[in-house]
Formats: sequence, structure tokens, C-alpha cells
Amino acid sequence: MEQILANGIYLGSQYAMIALGLTLIFALMNVLNFAHGQMYVLGGFVTYTFYGQMGFPFVVGLLMSCVTLFVLGALIEKFLFGPVIKRSSREESTMLLAAGLAFFLDAVILLVFGEKQRGVPKIVDGVFNWDFRLIMPYDRILICVLAIISIVGFILFMQYTKTGRALRALAQDRTAAQLMGVNVDRYSMIGFALGAMLAGLVGGLLVTITGINLGMGGPTSIKAFMMVMIGGAGVISGAIAGGIILGFLEAIGLAVLYQYGDITYLLIFVSLMIFLAFRPQGLMGKPWG
Amino acid sequence: MKRRTVLKSAAAAAALSALTATGALAENPTLKIGFVGVTSGPAAAWGISNQRSMEVRADWINETGGYTIGDTTYDIEIVSFDDQKDPKRAIAGMEKMAQEGIHYVVGPNVDDGAAAVRPVAEANGIMYFPYAFPKSLYSAPASNAVLGMVANYQSGPAIYKYLMENEGVETVAFIAANESDPLSQRDGGVAAAKELGLEIVSDNITYQVDTTDFTPVLTPVMRSQPDLLVLSGVSPANAPQLIRSARELGFQGVISTETAQDAQVLREGAGDLANGFISVGGASTPELASDMMREFVQRYTDMFGEYNDESNTKVYALEYILETLKADPPAIDDVDAFQATMDTFEAPNPYMVGDAKLRYVGMTSFGQKRQLAVPLVVNVYQDGEFETLFVAEVD
Amino acid sequence: MLKLSLTQWIGAGVFFAAVFVVAPVTIAVLGRTDLFYTLTSVGLLAIASAGVWLTFYIGRINIGQGAFALLGAYVSAILVTKAGMSFWISLPIAGLFAAFVAVLIGLPILRLKGVYFAMITLVLTQVFTLTALALPITNGAKGITSIPLPGELSVLGLTLIPDFATLDNPRQAFYYTTAVLMVLTFAAMYRLVNSRLGHLCRSMQQNEELASSIGVNIAYIRIVIYAIASFFGGVGGAMFGSIAQSVYPSSFQVADSVNFMLNCFLGGLGYVFGPMLGTFVLYFGWDLLFEFGKYQMLIYSSVLIFLILVLPNGLLSLRLSKKRGQDK
Repeated sequence: MEQILANGIYLGSQYAMIALGLTLIFALMNVLNFAHGQMYVLGGFVTYTFYGQMGFPFVVGLLMSCVTLFVLGALIEKFLFGPVIKRSSREESTMLLAAGLAFFLDAVILLVFGEKQRGVPKIVDGVFNWDFRLIMPYDRILICVLAIISIVGFILFMQYTKTGRALRALAQDRTAAQLMGVNVDRYSMIGFALGAMLAGLVGGLLVTITGINLGMGGPTSIKAFMMVMIGGAGVISGAIAGGIILGFLEAIGLAVLYQYGDITYLLIFVSLMIFLAFRPQGLMGKPWG
Repeated sequence: MKRRTVLKSAAAAAALSALTATGALAENPTLKIGFVGVTSGPAAAWGISNQRSMEVRADWINETGGYTIGDTTYDIEIVSFDDQKDPKRAIAGMEKMAQEGIHYVVGPNVDDGAAAVRPVAEANGIMYFPYAFPKSLYSAPASNAVLGMVANYQSGPAIYKYLMENEGVETVAFIAANESDPLSQRDGGVAAAKELGLEIVSDNITYQVDTTDFTPVLTPVMRSQPDLLVLSGVSPANAPQLIRSARELGFQGVISTETAQDAQVLREGAGDLANGFISVGGASTPELASDMMREFVQRYTDMFGEYNDESNTKVYALEYILETLKADPPAIDDVDAFQATMDTFEAPNPYMVGDAKLRYVGMTSFGQKRQLAVPLVVNVYQDGEFETLFVAEVD
Repeated sequence: MLKLSLTQWIGAGVFFAAVFVVAPVTIAVLGRTDLFYTLTSVGLLAIASAGVWLTFYIGRINIGQGAFALLGAYVSAILVTKAGMSFWISLPIAGLFAAFVAVLIGLPILRLKGVYFAMITLVLTQVFTLTALALPITNGAKGITSIPLPGELSVLGLTLIPDFATLDNPRQAFYYTTAVLMVLTFAAMYRLVNSRLGHLCRSMQQNEELASSIGVNIAYIRIVIYAIASFFGGVGGAMFGSIAQSVYPSSFQVADSVNFMLNCFLGGLGYVFGPMLGTFVLYFGWDLLFEFGKYQMLIYSSVLIFLILVLPNGLLSLRLSKKRGQDK
């Protein structure tokens, strides 16, 4: 039981961070960012390069992941999503752009970092073992704590800074925010960059545990979509709730249903669909048009 | 000024090398060998090591004057098609090979692709060398597929038997990704283990291919305390994470797999925790590698910056194709002749020390000779490198 | 009957000629028989994409067509291999079964809108793949292999379609079959869009509440459209299974579902023939870039991004902007 709880919290905290970035971008620009997983992978590879290859301290690697993805996110918004949103007659067209971007990042990552699975040296050694009732390696605990700190930090940022308030206003009502004097273009860019940065940060954190490879991108995006759906699209608290719920679903599902093996995930997916049929806007989302 | 001179001489050099290149091409006719597999997107790792092994070998042959089959010396050209791990694309790739007049194709890398290209290959007279294990691909009436490596239902029993005798293994647990290839391999492994009299304590735990945290997946397996944990059909990306999670959960037994792995990936991903991990490899461990294998590894490293240990098992297909054509030159555009030669073909294995032979096998598994006799080299990972545990042969 | 203008008749004529005469003749002249399969693929994927386009038409982003293509492929494969049924009978059954399942699934999920519908259909594709892996009738992970080629179809002793296995080039036969299916699909689509139902769909796309308030039974229309859309998916999938002579749980997966959607976007959501053009460009584009080796993906995706930047409303919007200019 303790083990399931711990697994749930650990999984939930990293999932929540992935979902946060996705939902932020969605809330601000109504873009379903198919390339989110690729941004996560890129973040992992940047940390790998600086920490694993060049021998800088881990924190520097993390910082570089954040900076790289922030800049990349800003550029992508400014030169790709911004213009396309302005010019397309249906905002769903951005899905094509997002998917194209996902292909593009996949190709770049393959050319630059190669096809192999990469890993970095452990940041902390040792395993916490409470009488075999609860086993958790120390690096997992550390990453889990760092993830929770980042989430709290992000919430505080959104609540109490000027930028955060502007972003929230933008997410709530674009036109109203504009009328209130919010520079919509600038904050869209900052918001997108922040979302990308969050993806990069998770990538950087998790590379120490799971390593990183090219193939993690697409599936990560899909998982993030699911979390966002559970919690409600475009709502920060929803993304966090969705991430934690999916984390626990997996931890509990795998623990309880293990003798049925092949169908654990099938059941998770089907129950998710049934849940959404009853509550189409997720837990906390507003019904979207 | 200086920069311009540099540019100029660079351009001159480029033009010169282009000239010599075309000159070389004009000398030898080209023999095209195909590759259909996945080299982009999430599953790129499956095919890239494969394609690169072929390109390295082809370059090497061309650099040393070409490959003589019958009275003609050919330059080897590798024509690659990226199927994106999509069986529908794989068919298109095989059609393309037929269009290019290619009769010998390496790949595809997965079960569904290998099954999907069969009609095209058989209709167009193409021999293809998939890295997929379903027996139906190689047993009659299927005729044109040749298994390019050792199948798990061949290597599995050998490994289990070795571990039973040497490590006293009595109980075994299987874990596989929830995908066609690994699941089929798991079922094959379970059947083999049963036959050997091992007690199977867990055989139905699976994980999604995209799993990033294996602790919850492995926790129930660990409870059954097996002596041996088999990672069926595990991809090189997942292997280190599974090993790490299992060890961190306190697993003391042996961990093994029947797929090829990469030592560098294991070292980065699991470090010392991977010590004692058993996998199947080719002949590049120091004990077995011939000079030619060492040169291949060196050339691969020079060309692509980093070697991939998975290539040890993938160096063979091209060699087999060329050696067989050399033994029977008319087979170059006649796969019936090729198939006839397969039954009797034998040549020394240049990649391995000792008197190992290249020949076609598979009578036991498929009822016809539709498999390359790749040495079944079982490796154990130790401190960043593979050591050979034992070598066996497939019949 | 529909009234087509002269230009539309000419357009249809040119299209027919291109599909049934120009393409096969060109292939024969160039000797590029591999193109038969490529074009067949384009046709089948276009049929499935047409279904996705149709769900767009009622304002739903459908990323779940792969699920129904997989379903269709399995239904046909099971009927042919296990029940010994003729492929030609299994083909419509595959489509109808997909439509039937779509009705069952559509009843709850079509209430969802926007990204929620998009994401739930994405999950649906995974559900179908995992189900195919888990069920005994689909042969689980081992898939269904060695499916025979389509047999003879005859009515009252008159052979309508010969046994594919006896043909010199079954690829060519598959091409013509697909071409006919594709023409039928898009003719049906055109007819539908220009019917009263199509008109109602457009009003739903604009505003469902409004449409409902003026007495449109939106729940009914949604289900009907989704069923038709999935029918197309099922038929496309079944044909693919027959060409590959094998079906695996991974024959159609999330990536395929996403591609179907991209085909529609690229072609243009406002145009019936958008999915056809989009499929053609996306699929053929990949094949054309074959020469670039390891840079293939990079160039492909760059071109894709560039196209979206220049033509955010789809390729066919080029034509539209000209036409609008003339109208004004």
C-alpha cells in the first residue's frame, strides 16, 4: 500500500509537470501542441549534453534545458504559431502546424543526438528501503521533490507576478485582456515559451532517472493529452489534478490488475472514456466550444 | 584573400574527388542491395544500426576495389527505404526495391512489416532478410524470407538451460512490452521454459511501450521472487531502466533477454546495476572477434562517430547475400538459383575467430533452410563491456 | 438529381480520365509499376481521410479513424480466413460493422466537443489497438497472416471481377478497385454535402445550439455522419488488409489516425476534395523525398511547416481565393 502511494505520488508529480506546460499553451492560444513530447525530449538531451557529456553540474544542465526551450518556444510562437493563428480561418489548423513541428523536432533530434537511448550519471546514490514495505531510490525522491517545488513555484508565479496575472487574464478572455491593456502578442509569446520551458525542465529532471531517447516524444504528448482531458483543458489546477490522477491510476492499476497483464492499460483507457462520457469537460474544465 | 584561397582549394578538391568518384563508378558496374526498415521517428533505433552496418560494409568493399562475383567486379550500393515502422509503407518500400530491379533486401525490422511485404517479395522475385521471428514467415509455403538473426525461441532455451545448469535457476518470470513482437517473443519464451521444466511464476505482466517508470510495473513481479527475470523482446531503450528498477527494488536473481543490446546504453542507463545482465550479441567481444570484425567496428566508428553493439548481429545479412552470390553467380538476378544454392552453401565466417562457418540453417524450426547461421553468442554485461558467456549454434 | 455546372462536368471528366486512363498509361509508359501500389495507398488513405473530413463537417476533430480502419481490416480478415467468406462480401460488411460500432461509441462521445472530442478519439485508437492485442479472435499479438487474395465475384455466372490470384498483376487490379471505391466515396461525399443533410451539417458546424433551437435533430445527424465516416474508415482498412494479406494490431495506430487528420487539414477543411489532395501530397511527398536519405524527414517536415505558413487554410484555398476574387 505504501509502495503504491509512493509510486503514485512520484508518477503523478512528473506527469503533472508535463501536463502543466501543455495546458498553459492550450489555455493561452487554443493550440493543442502535438510537439510537446518532442520538447520534453529535447530538454532531456540538453541536460544530457551539459551534465552527462560536458561534465557541468546537474543544475547547470537543468538551467540550460530551461533556457534552450524557453528561447525555442518563444521563436516558435513568434514565427510559426502567431502568424498561422492570425491568418487561418479555423483555429484547428494549428494542429497541422503542431504535428509538422513534431516531425521536424524528431528529425532534428535524430540528426543531432542520434538514435540511441542516453543516460546520465546518477545524481544521488542509494535506495531508501523501509522494511521492504516502501522502496524508493534517493534520486527518485529528490526528483519528485524538485518536481513538486517547480509546480508550487509555477503556481506562485502565476498568482503573484505581473506576468502571471497577465497570462491568467489572457487565458480567461483574450479580448477582455486586450481591452484592459495587456499586450496580447507579447504575453502569448511568453506563455508559449513558459509552456515549452516546463516541458524542457521535466525532460532535464527525468533524464537522471529514465534516461532519454528519441522515441519518448510522441507517447509523452499522448499521455499529456490524457491528463489534460481528465483534469479539464486549459485549467492549471486541472492539469495538476489530471497528472496526479493518471499517476495513481497507473500505480494502482498495475498493482491491482497485474494478474490480468495485457489488459491493465486497456481498462485504464476504457474507464477514461467512460468518465469523459459522463463528464465531458473533465474534472475542472469549462465546457469548451 | 586567404579565405578565398581556402575556398578555392576546397572547391578544387571537391571537384577532384567527384571526378575520381565517378571514375571509380565508371570502372565497376553497381550491384544494388536494398534495405527496408525504420530509420526515422520514434523507432529509428531499430533500423539505423542495421542500415549503417550495411553502408559501412559497402563502403569498405568499394574502397578496396569492389566485390567480385563470377567474372565481374561490382561496387555495392545500398538502397535504403524508410518505412517509418508502418507495414503499409513497408509494402511501398518493397515495391520500390522491385522497381529498382533489386533482388536482395535486408529488413523489415518488425513482425507486421515482414508479413506485409511477403506478397510483393514473392511476386517480384525478391529474397528478403527480416529481423522478425514469426515462424510462418520462413516455413513453407513462404519461400522468400530468410531470418537474419537468431530467433528468441532458439536462443531462449539455450540461455535458460545454461542458467539452470550453472546458476541453479529454478523459477522464472517473464515481462514484455504490450506490442506484437515482444508479446510473441514472450509466448515463445514461456513455452521453451516450460519444456525445460522451469517453474514459471509470472508470465502475464506487460508494460506500455512508452513507460517511463518501471517500478510499479515490476513491483508485483518482484513479489514472486523468481530466480530469473526474462525481459522478452526488450528494446535497447527500455532495458537499462528495467534493470535499474528491478535492482533498486532489491531483486537478486539473474536478468536476461534474447535481443541484442548496446553496452554503452546499458552503462549510461543502469551503470553497475547492469552487471551480470545476459543478452544475445554477435561476435565482437574480444574473445571472438576476428581482425575483420575489429576493422568493421573501427570503420563504423570512424564513419558515424559511435559504434552500436546491436550491429554485431546485423553485419551478417549483407555478407551472406554477397558470399552466396559469389558461390553461384547466376543467382544475381535469379532467386530460384539462390534458393537452390542456400541448401548447400558454406563459407568461412570472416567475423569470428576459429573455424565458424557461414551457412543456412533452420531445418528444425522451419522445415527448410531459411535462416542465417549467425553464431549464437550469449554475452554477459560487466563493467561497461560485454563478455562472452558461451557460444552455441542453431540448426 | 444534382445539377452540375459545365465546369464541374469538365472537372469530373478530367478527374475520371486522370484516374482511369492517364495514370495507368503513364505507369505503363514509364514502366514504374511500383506506382500502382503507391497510388492505391493514396486512394485508400484518401477514403479513410474522407471520413475524417466528414466529421470535421459537423465540427468535430476526429483523431480516431485509425481505430475504424483497424476494425474494418480485422472484420474482413476474420470473415475471409475463418468463415471462408468472399472478400467482396466482407468488404461492405467491414464498413457496416465499423459504422455500427461507431454508432455505439458515438452515442456517448459525440456529446464532446473541441479538443475533448479530438483527444478522446485519439485514445480510442489506442483502445482498439490494445483490444486487438488482447482478444483471441484477432489472434492477439500474432496477427492474422496469409489472407488469400480476393476471389472471383460473379453474378448469375457472369464474372464481374476475376480471381485476383489468377491475374498477372494483382497490384493493377487493386488499383482499379481502389479507384472505383474512391470515386464512389467522393461522389457520395459531394452529394451529401450538397444535400439538405449537408446544409444542416454546416449549420451545426457554425453553432450547434442555434441549429438545435431551429428544430434540427443534432444528436441524430451527428450519429449518422459519424457512422458514415467510420464506414469509410472500415472499407479503407479492409482493402489494406487484403493487399498486405495480413493484419496486425499495429496495422493502423495512433500515427495513422493523426495522419488522416493531417491529410484533411493540408487539403483544406472547406473543400470536399481536400482530403484527397492532402493525402496525395503528404503520401507522395514522402516517397519523392526518398532520395534524400537521412535528411528525408527533415526536408519533409520543413516543407510541411512552410506549406502551413503560406496556406494556413489548406492547399485548395489557393483556388478559393482566386474564385472569390472573380466573384467580387
